[in-house]
Amino acid sequence: MDAKDILGLPKTPLPIAQEKKSRPHKDSQRKPDGISREVYALTGGVAPLMPSIDVSQLKRRPPSDEKITWQWLPFTSSARKDNLQLYHWVRVVNGVPPTGDYSFAKYNKSVDVIRYTDEEYAKYLTDPKWTKEETDQLFDLCERFDLRFIIIADRFPTPRTVEELKDRYYSASRAILVARAPSPGEVAGHPLVKEPYNVTHEIERKRALSMVLSQTKHQERKDAEVLAEAKRIAESRMAARAAEEPDLPVPSDIGPESAERAVGPGDTISPSNVQVHAAAAAPSTSVIADNSSTLASLRMLKVYLRTYALEQMVQAASSSAGLRTIKRVEQTLQDLGINLKPKVPTKAVCAEHLELRKEILTLLNLQKQLQYKEAEGSSFRDGSYGDMPGTAKRSQRAVDQDRTFVPDTISFGVIPGDRGVKREQKRKGPGRASETPSSPAGAHKRPRKMKASDL
Amino acid sequence: MYGGDEVSAIVIDLGSHTCKAGYAGEDAPKAVFPSVVGCIDQMDADDDKENNDSETNNNNADSNKPKGKRKLYVGSQALGFRRDHMEVVSPLKDGVVVDWDIVDNIWDHAFKDCLLIDPKEHPMLLAEPSSNTQLQREKIAELMFEKYKVPALFLAKNAVLTSFASGRATSVVIDSGGGSTTVAPVHDGYVLQKAVSFSPIGGEFLTDCLMKSLESKGILIKPRYSFKRKEIQPGVFQTVDVDLPHTTESYKLYSQRVIASDIKESVCRAPDTPYDESSYSNIPMTPYELPDGQTIEIGADRFKIPDILFNPSLAQTIPGMDNFAEISSSARGLPQMVIESINRCDVDIRKELFGSILLAGGTASMQQLKERLEKDLLEESPQAARVKVLASGNATERRFSVWIGGSILASLGSFQQMWFSKSEYEEHGASYIQRKCP
Repeated sequence: MDAKDILGLPKTPLPIAQEKKSRPHKDSQRKPDGISREVYALTGGVAPLMPSIDVSQLKRRPPSDEKITWQWLPFTSSARKDNLQLYHWVRVVNGVPPTGDYSFAKYNKSVDVIRYTDEEYAKYLTDPKWTKEETDQLFDLCERFDLRFIIIADRFPTPRTVEELKDRYYSASRAILVARAPSPGEVAGHPLVKEPYNVTHEIERKRALSMVLSQTKHQERKDAEVLAEAKRIAESRMAARAAEEPDLPVPSDIGPESAERAVGPGDTISPSNVQVHAAAAAPSTSVIADNSSTLASLRMLKVYLRTYALEQMVQAASSSAGLRTIKRVEQTLQDLGINLKPKVPTKAVCAEHLELRKEILTLLNLQKQLQYKEAEGSSFRDGSYGDMPGTAKRSQRAVDQDRTFVPDTISFGVIPGDRGVKREQKRKGPGRASETPSSPAGAHKRPRKMKASDL
Repeated sequence: MYGGDEVSAIVIDLGSHTCKAGYAGEDAPKAVFPSVVGCIDQMDADDDKENNDSETNNNNADSNKPKGKRKLYVGSQALGFRRDHMEVVSPLKDGVVVDWDIVDNIWDHAFKDCLLIDPKEHPMLLAEPSSNTQLQREKIAELMFEKYKVPALFLAKNAVLTSFASGRATSVVIDSGGGSTTVAPVHDGYVLQKAVSFSPIGGEFLTDCLMKSLESKGILIKPRYSFKRKEIQPGVFQTVDVDLPHTTESYKLYSQRVIASDIKESVCRAPDTPYDESSYSNIPMTPYELPDGQTIEIGADRFKIPDILFNPSLAQTIPGMDNFAEISSSARGLPQMVIESINRCDVDIRKELFGSILLAGGTASMQQLKERLEKDLLEESPQAARVKVLASGNATERRFSVWIGGSILASLGSFQQMWFSKSEYEEHGASYIQRKCP
């Protein structure tokens, strides 16, 4: 731009005629298809399509009909209130100096600060903490320094904080605006009226910020060391407890410390540390190994959802069982009217749910064992007593024998579930007992039939 | 669009050590000369030299001046020439002007002898200390408008000009010059006066410490005028002492200081860690050749002297500096001053201030000063703030950064509306300068 100015070339962009000429020339210079623009640019590529200064233009001389001279002429600026005349170099065309205001005068912008009259002050703006002179000084400084409150606070004769000054200025301006407006609706859109200045919030925010900033690196390092130490102690405590009480492993959770540190760096470590969440229920003895491994994996996460934890536990618990068994467990739960995932996963509910699942699993396992035993028993008996008429009687006797067997298994099944849900258990018990004699043959198929017709 | 518009303004920066003057729009001042003057009180000269009229007397007829007639010699050339009974006087004391006559002469020398301009045609931009009083400013305005009849004037604070020279509107400026060190935060182009920190420890103080330290080691610095070197044989020189009984003490001290400050500038380095006697006792010595041919070895002092900036109490350990004990005990080290200054500012801008700390002034061009300062500040500053100390790589730029800022400011198009013009002075009086030059 400078070069053009000095040479006297037009500042306007390329004239249209030249654009047309240069465009076909530039078209042939376009990048080859097939590769992206950036890749082509790596190889050297094409020059940018629109050069900022056209080289051909620079070689041209200024049009000869104009006579350009540079003269040292005085100038005035509308931004000044007096008539100071300073001198500068001016590009004169054909002996006619350029007209118009000083080109930099348009950058003279200022904030329009509301000025109030004395009666307006007396009516709307009196405040016990501020005198009229102070308010006048404040508004004067605001105008001089374009609402740079930090500097205004610095230059204010009496010591006042930035928040106090801002508060006074904004509330006063707001009051005047509202008072002068013919109707409240008109000024409702004005930013001063819409969003009032909140002093307390600002004071709080600044206090918090100053606390953040007053922590030196030295202190930070000490804090970090102490926290690391505490974490180590907590973990070792945890490990000790896990070793002592195997049926009550407790995963510990060191909660988010950074947020707390920001707010209260002076606090002692104890509240921020050792936030222990016990998410597991008391597992049965048979699955303790699985449980501890899931717990270990959960301990790796700092924050996790309880439902997620529950899923892990369930998976761990049913890892010994096959897919069919898992499906059976779920079917049983559905038949009982219980959601597969508890709707309200509180600690107690999750614990009960897990226990229930385990009991159902145990029950099914035992039922399977029972069937096998029955099958063995019946095949053994069938095998030993060969003739047919005897079988009916025998089968009856087998059934009786079965019947004697069954209550035992039922009663056996009762004990592990004792701790748990008694309601479901009661329903199952009599139901099963009634069903077993109805289908003497096909002992293998019994559980399926029971399932279909059960409850 | 190009934001400059040159109106051929003149920028003058009268520091405690050197005065810099030149045209606005240029990148270095044309006239750089010491801001102390040689002064011969005509009374003494007349008494002594009744017999020989080698001195041209100033035939000023106002003998009712209480100071008497005195001839002032301004400029490095005039000062370099030794004259009988010439005292070296500084117009400034603790950063404040006490002798306006000398200032007047200095400006006169700058305009007439160095820059060869007529002050009537050029608006003037003057750099003033960051904590200048209203009275001083009014006196400057009066002097400029009444005596030199400048068309327009503007007084800008040193810290603001340094900040503009580095292209920032908000920064903390550490101006470590000849006479003092000032730490001033600048926000949006205005100095926050309530947060300015001042310390009397400057380049001259360090030079004095060095001189006393060398004296205590038995090294005598001979001023340049006090000896002549003769070449007896090719390559071999012999120094002969010249006895000049009428040379004043102040002139002798001044000449010695010139040499000592040269030693300081070439040899001294800021240590990386705080100085202690034991660790630096076995440091290898650096040789330095004095003008009279003497070669001296400087060892621990290389690091001790600059460390006084960081730890002023070190100065008390130097024998001979006891009379400055009160000064150095009350002064604080540089990093403490910076942190104190920033902490006096509003919380919202502190982070920004920490990220732009500027070094300016002659003493700031000491080697390794920037790194040491950054290291010290990182230790003491808050974790959340990112500390960055900036200094232009060029040593000349650091010395003249105030002047360069003035040069930039006075040649901006949008600055031309801010001058304090003669008509405004006549209309509102000198006190209006407070409003016009914030």
